[in-house]
Amino acid sequence: MLISLNEIKKLVNIPVSDEALFELIDSRLVEIESVSDWSKKYKNIYIVKVVSCEPIEGTHLHLCEIDAGSELNKKFDPDHSLIQVVCGAPNVKQGMFAVWIAPGAVVPQTFETLEPFEISERKLRGFMSYGMLAGADELGLGDDHSGIVELNPKENYAPGSLFADAFDLNDKIIEVENKSLTHRPDCFGLFGFAREVAGVLGQPFELSLPAETPLSSVSSDISLKISDPSLCPRYSAFVFELKPETPSPYLSANDIFLYKASMRPVSPIVDLTNLVMLKTGQPSHAFDLDKFLSASNSKSLEIGVRSARKGEKLLLLDGKEVSLTPSDIVITSADTPVALAGAMGGKSTEIDASTSRVVLEVASFSLYNLRKTQMSHGLFSEAITRFTKGRPATDFASTVSLLKSGFSSELNANLLSESEFITPTLLDLNKNFIQNVVKITRTGINSLLGTQYSDDLIEKTLKNVGFSIKKSEEKTAKTLSETPEKSTLFEISIPLWRTDIKIKEDIIEEIGRLLGYDNIPLSFPNRPFTCASIDPMLSLKSSLRTILSDRLEANELLTYSFVSKKLQEKAGENPEDSYIITNSISPELECFRQSLVPSLLEKSFENEKSGHKNFTLYELNQVAKKSFGLSPENVPNLETHLGLVSPGDFYALKHLLLELEKSLRLKFIFKPLDLNSVSNAPFLEPLRSASISIQNSDREVSLGVFGELKSSVKSSFKLSQISSGLELNLSPLLGESSHKKLNLKLSKYPFVSRDLTVRVREIIRYEEIESLIRETLESEPDLLFKLTPVSIFQIPLAPTKNLSFHLEISNLKKTLTSSEISDIMKKITKKLEKSDAEIV
Amino acid sequence: MSNLEELKSKLKSLSAEYAKIRSLPPEERRAFGEKINARKQEILEKIRSLEESKRLLDIKPVDVSAPFAKNSPAPAFKQGTKHPLSSELEIVSEIYRNMGFNVIESSQLDDEFHMFDSLNFPKDHPARDGYDTFRTEEGFIPPAHTSTMQYRALTRFKPNLETLGQIAVVIPGRVFRNEDADATHEHTFYQCEGVFVSKTATLSQLLATWKSFFETYYGQSLNIKTQPGFFPFTEPSLEFKIEKPKSLGGKGDGWLEMGGCGMIHPNVLKTAGIDPEIYKGFAWGGGIDRLVMLKYGVSDVRLFESGKLDFLKEF
Repeated sequence: MLISLNEIKKLVNIPVSDEALFELIDSRLVEIESVSDWSKKYKNIYIVKVVSCEPIEGTHLHLCEIDAGSELNKKFDPDHSLIQVVCGAPNVKQGMFAVWIAPGAVVPQTFETLEPFEISERKLRGFMSYGMLAGADELGLGDDHSGIVELNPKENYAPGSLFADAFDLNDKIIEVENKSLTHRPDCFGLFGFAREVAGVLGQPFELSLPAETPLSSVSSDISLKISDPSLCPRYSAFVFELKPETPSPYLSANDIFLYKASMRPVSPIVDLTNLVMLKTGQPSHAFDLDKFLSASNSKSLEIGVRSARKGEKLLLLDGKEVSLTPSDIVITSADTPVALAGAMGGKSTEIDASTSRVVLEVASFSLYNLRKTQMSHGLFSEAITRFTKGRPATDFASTVSLLKSGFSSELNANLLSESEFITPTLLDLNKNFIQNVVKITRTGINSLLGTQYSDDLIEKTLKNVGFSIKKSEEKTAKTLSETPEKSTLFEISIPLWRTDIKIKEDIIEEIGRLLGYDNIPLSFPNRPFTCASIDPMLSLKSSLRTILSDRLEANELLTYSFVSKKLQEKAGENPEDSYIITNSISPELECFRQSLVPSLLEKSFENEKSGHKNFTLYELNQVAKKSFGLSPENVPNLETHLGLVSPGDFYALKHLLLELEKSLRLKFIFKPLDLNSVSNAPFLEPLRSASISIQNSDREVSLGVFGELKSSVKSSFKLSQISSGLELNLSPLLGESSHKKLNLKLSKYPFVSRDLTVRVREIIRYEEIESLIRETLESEPDLLFKLTPVSIFQIPLAPTKNLSFHLEISNLKKTLTSSEISDIMKKITKKLEKSDAEIV
Repeated sequence: MSNLEELKSKLKSLSAEYAKIRSLPPEERRAFGEKINARKQEILEKIRSLEESKRLLDIKPVDVSAPFAKNSPAPAFKQGTKHPLSSELEIVSEIYRNMGFNVIESSQLDDEFHMFDSLNFPKDHPARDGYDTFRTEEGFIPPAHTSTMQYRALTRFKPNLETLGQIAVVIPGRVFRNEDADATHEHTFYQCEGVFVSKTATLSQLLATWKSFFETYYGQSLNIKTQPGFFPFTEPSLEFKIEKPKSLGGKGDGWLEMGGCGMIHPNVLKTAGIDPEIYKGFAWGGGIDRLVMLKYGVSDVRLFESGKLDFLKEF
């Protein structure tokens, strides 16, 4: 939103510098995004009189002599008594007053752009041209490029006077961040904004409005049919009669007012409604009465407000036809829609140069419906932007007063009739608007802010911005502080325009804000001597990161939680099991991911392509799929996974897992993939993969799967190095019972080492042999041993393989003799022989 | 004869000369002794220095500029890297934990109740539009702010109000907004939310607490500045800025916007079953990605989720 500093200065006495004021606004009212200094924008731009104007033959150009006052004339064109300018505008004519951009001045349109354009003197078609006569667009006032700006000759401008002086352009235009004013409809009008400026300056704000015409002087033969007061709690309609008037061709002060707010003039009637909206924040709309009647072939004026019906269409003022939905509110003539309420008028009732009777609407509409209208039709008009902030239905007075006086004094219109609908719930028994009252104590205010503001300061601060206050003493204050103390109770009546103030905390915000949050002295909460906890999953992830990155040399990635169906299909997943984002940015980001490996495979391809070799990627993140079901809170169950991809084969990845197992002091149980696990890892080759689980209390809990990628997956991801993947659910690891206890026995007698190679049939699993050896050793009393596999060797195509172990043994109570050792070795041999294995 | 041997024989003859001391009158002995000693030290020093230069001849100096030794294969650097966002989340969580805040993680799929209803957003209110929320077919929401966890934090730690007199929680996590990505905008990013409730919580404490976090994080004292803000779940609501820290090139001018904060709206406490007439609270939240961008001079936020090792191997 754009705010003119000059307009604020007309309403508030500002005793500080502009910069200090901006600082105050920024820290106590709303963030200022930028300030544009228009006195610089309109520097060296003058009002001139076109003294002569001759067409240049064979061109559309005119050779003009302009009068910019004797001083400027001499300065810019010393050869002539007047200044010569070549002008291409069709409306340039002798005797007109125009706006001249002098050589050396920057074209305002290009001011504050990356390439400001400086006007110079130059030759055009053989004629010297000094500066230029400016069009509205070049002056940065709207986008009209049809001709040069024409000024009203009745104003008798002195040639050479500054354009900025005559049109109040020595101004600063403040652009504020709308978002933090979402709840402040009052600040979307100049008056409301100025009131706040007064408030932050610690000054009272007074607004003088034109006196209201009494209601009885006009008839009220307008029929208002409001179908549902919740859609439209208040509707005021006025009928004016006026002499049809073609819009003036001259630039006016009103035009400038609109331009400063980035609006453009349309017609005197429409401009008046817009001007008033810019001042009060309350939109209004003008219909051509005769068109309004003919829209429904009516004789008498019947204004309706209702929900749109499915299938209804409406041609809007901007020329677009919208298909209405039942959440849209329409204004109807009899029952025919003529405007999209709160958003935009209809083409069929548009004000034009022949309009002689006007229906003026000042109304309030349900912001919830308007928000839907805004979203479904993409309409972001100035009016709907204000309505969706929650314009109060009770705050029409200043708007109506300004409109009435404007119609009568500026448009010479007569008020013929008026009528009003007000939902009874807005009124009290005396037919006055119900005003909210909030009660709060001084202690209540200070104990939430952490301040010590006095009664007087609190009272003054609130009164400055329109609150009225009754004070009383409250002895046993029901306050937030532990010890009851004497406090003052404020009974605060909320002004009608402050729909946002409903509870104590809202009042506290006003006090804190207007007096400056930055002035609040800082203090710390007391803290009990207890240790704060950390989510065990966060701790686990942190440990895993350290092990995987610092020890196992893997690279941590974070990738999007959203993936494409295509990616899931490439990895063999079923997109049907994904939560689908209905408003996704693109199909690439349509599904909430079910697992991490597919994302990692995608990134592996890109990294292989950029020349990285021998890398292991992993990610720790949340995944979800529909088959996980819902939590007791009825939200999707999520799992935190470790996903990892690496260039090695199954055994390389298993080695990494054994390292991980050791670091985490866990005992992983590896098993061939069963049917269920296969479906959890469709990207893995079942015969070259395994499932991992842990023993948690008395049950075995599955963690996930790892293994080699299917060659089809590898090729669909175009991978040349990355060959294996791991997808683990980390939640089961949080159970304490899964941790391995230390079982350390130390012997003071020496260890003796033996090497042992076992030949077995190829199909015998490694585990069988190792456990046979272990069992034998464990059955020996007081024996300590370390059994380390050394190699697994098979001659190609041979029916057997050799398993070699390195064995170190010792005894807790004595030094082992060589015969004792060979006894043990014999027992091992015997045990192995039973299983068809032999020691070689 | 080498210089060294010459010196050694000089040393010998000096010891012989020292024997003469006995033949001198007692009053001259002291001066004589000192003279001999001084000469002895001088010779010893010369010997030491000669021996040191001789020793150095046998030692091969290193080339301090060379990355590795001559005639040996280039050693590989450690390949492993942690993601800068994860690392920063750990640092941030650890500071808050040291300040006394329990750390819980934010959930990546949530619902309308946690994201909006429990946070005092009226149904269908335009304030919901400001959050550019994604929705699944079932109406679930990949949350647009970590405030989605406030209700859970309040209800889960409510027993602490009885035992410790306060709830103190921070919630780091991944959040999502439906906006087009560019160098400074991402649809996926990280935030950290803080929640504090006690009988005596004040706005003053909120500002002091968040300021203190940043002072620890940046290792210097910092000025702060606020602006009025609007969030349905806090009242009053503020935007929070810190002075640009020295480590980021700050010279006492310039401010960094760090996020939004405010006193928890009584309706939010009420929804979580906490009596707002007795308890007050404050909450704050800000982005993590920007902290990392500022810290390391990352100019494009999209690099974080790009998975590019060229980028990640810098950390």
